[in-house]
Amino acid sequence: MGCWTCAVGCKAINDEPLGYWWNRILTTEPNGSAQVATSASPAIDVPHGVFPNLELAYLPVACQHCNNAPCQKVCPVGATFRREDGVILIDYERCIGCRYCLAACPYGVRIFNWGPGERVPDFIIGYGEDYRTEGRLVFEPVRPMGVMEKCTLCVERIDVGEEPFCVAVCPVGARVFGDLNDPQSEVSTLINEEGASQLLAQLGTDPNIYYLPVRHPDKVSE
Amino acid sequence: MVSKNVVRASTPMVRSPWVWGSSALVVVGLVAWFYELEHGLAVTGMRDVVSWGLYIITFAFLIGLAAGGLVVSASAEVFHIEALRPLSRLGVLTAAIFSAAGGLMIIPDLGKPFRILNLFLYPNWTSPLEWDVTIITIYFLFSATELYYMVRHPDHKRLFKVLAYIALPLAVLLHSITAILFGLQFARVWWNIALLPPMFVASAIVSGTALIVVIAWILQKYHGVTIPSSTWRWLAGLMAVSLAIDLFFVGCDYVTILWDNIPTDRAVLALVLPGGRFQFTFWFEWVVGGLIPFVVLASSKLRSKIGYVVASAVLILVGVYAFRIELIVPGFINPLIQLPPGIALGTFTPGASPFQLVGHYSPTIVEYLIVVGLLCLTALAIAWGYHAFRVGESIESEVPHVKSS
Repeated sequence: MGCWTCAVGCKAINDEPLGYWWNRILTTEPNGSAQVATSASPAIDVPHGVFPNLELAYLPVACQHCNNAPCQKVCPVGATFRREDGVILIDYERCIGCRYCLAACPYGVRIFNWGPGERVPDFIIGYGEDYRTEGRLVFEPVRPMGVMEKCTLCVERIDVGEEPFCVAVCPVGARVFGDLNDPQSEVSTLINEEGASQLLAQLGTDPNIYYLPVRHPDKVSE
Repeated sequence: MVSKNVVRASTPMVRSPWVWGSSALVVVGLVAWFYELEHGLAVTGMRDVVSWGLYIITFAFLIGLAAGGLVVSASAEVFHIEALRPLSRLGVLTAAIFSAAGGLMIIPDLGKPFRILNLFLYPNWTSPLEWDVTIITIYFLFSATELYYMVRHPDHKRLFKVLAYIALPLAVLLHSITAILFGLQFARVWWNIALLPPMFVASAIVSGTALIVVIAWILQKYHGVTIPSSTWRWLAGLMAVSLAIDLFFVGCDYVTILWDNIPTDRAVLALVLPGGRFQFTFWFEWVVGGLIPFVVLASSKLRSKIGYVVASAVLILVGVYAFRIELIVPGFINPLIQLPPGIALGTFTPGASPFQLVGHYSPTIVEYLIVVGLLCLTALAIAWGYHAFRVGESIESEVPHVKSS
């Protein structure tokens, strides 16, 4: 419904500085192609189409955690890596800041630490601790200047059995998190029953984020 | 054979005003880099939409010049072009120095430059950047070694023949891999074409030859080194042919995009063609650095005047730089998913949106100062190498015996 609660929740738990959005809610049309060269409108919340045939849908976009991730393939030092469970993470201690992954990502979800990062309020409000997986530093409350960052799928939460924060805070339960390898899981069932799609599937990146179709588009009536 | 010209050329460099001026600009560039280290890449015009700028444009340009130097030098041996033989050592010198300069250009672009050794400690071989770093390193070591042997054992003809046969494919490989660095990125439709490596190789040969022409002219004018007229003719011919091939490749790409109606492809081309935001790259590439030098170099009357050949070479260098801008910046302008509000910039300016739907990039003074500083350092290194490796002497001693046609 385009309320941005997930995006703001993400910003809070990860202490993202001003101008950083790991999670964004794009304005689009129901079941439309994600690939639009000249956008219908430069502003959010503006319906697509010509009155009275107006349509509006929201596309939440964060890291797609691809199985065939171009960012991981192009990283010259292996700082971006894929964990066995499919989560794509960045090792903040190894990244050299070349931004090749930013050029390679078709989804525009990576954010570079151009400067020191300005936080309002300027104290830590989120998870607040360093987090390591496989011995590699994949989260710290204040990321150093000069490294790349992006959605971690709240790795520190999912490792202790909690949902990613965007899923937990969604007021209407629009986000579902689970195990795609388990055919009985809620995510697998929803994908199979409703015919979910991946973003820019034609590129072969094979994301682990699936989008359910908009089944009941609301028509604007006179 | 040591002529009096060489003796004159070896007078101390430190007296020339250009050396002082360049050195000052190198220092200014260094200061700008320290400023950037302190405040981060936020002091550049780059942001999360257009995330590579002047540094990477100049990097691709310098690597092209490095590849061209070795092509000129190795062609003399491989294709038995006697007229190019006097420039063998100069070609290897430019190859060594420009590949090093290209490698250095990457450093201010890095967010964590002091971690650069990670490239060698934790190599990821699926990354074209890792391959590019490797080939640049090999290329530099190869040219430096060849230069060393040229000075120490100039009579070892067999060795230089073997080296030339390695050098030619190495030069082609160097710029092909640099092209592939961009060409494999399917997230950027403007780069993602199989034509990019041949396009880069052609542009490397034309710009590298143009660079040799400019340096040869400076030597002839200010150092009293005589470059034979047959050499000038060959250089002019090589520039004309490689310029035509280069523009032919670029033209093929335009036609492919113009014929279809794929919105993402057309959106980028519209930026570049006349009337677009980046139309200056089109005019510089096709007219200033394309049509004008080509007409001059194709006319046998005009190309017999060295002044015209040198002017064409300068225009070609400008045109090839415009081609690098045209490739890199417009490639970022329209992200593949272009829906409002756009991509988060990664910095915040009060009163301005933190998102950008269509990319914007204009280099800052810091970027200009660092690039100019590095170019001055490169020029100083060429001047130093000219004296240290006795390049003037090598030109004088290799005046061709047979007049090539």
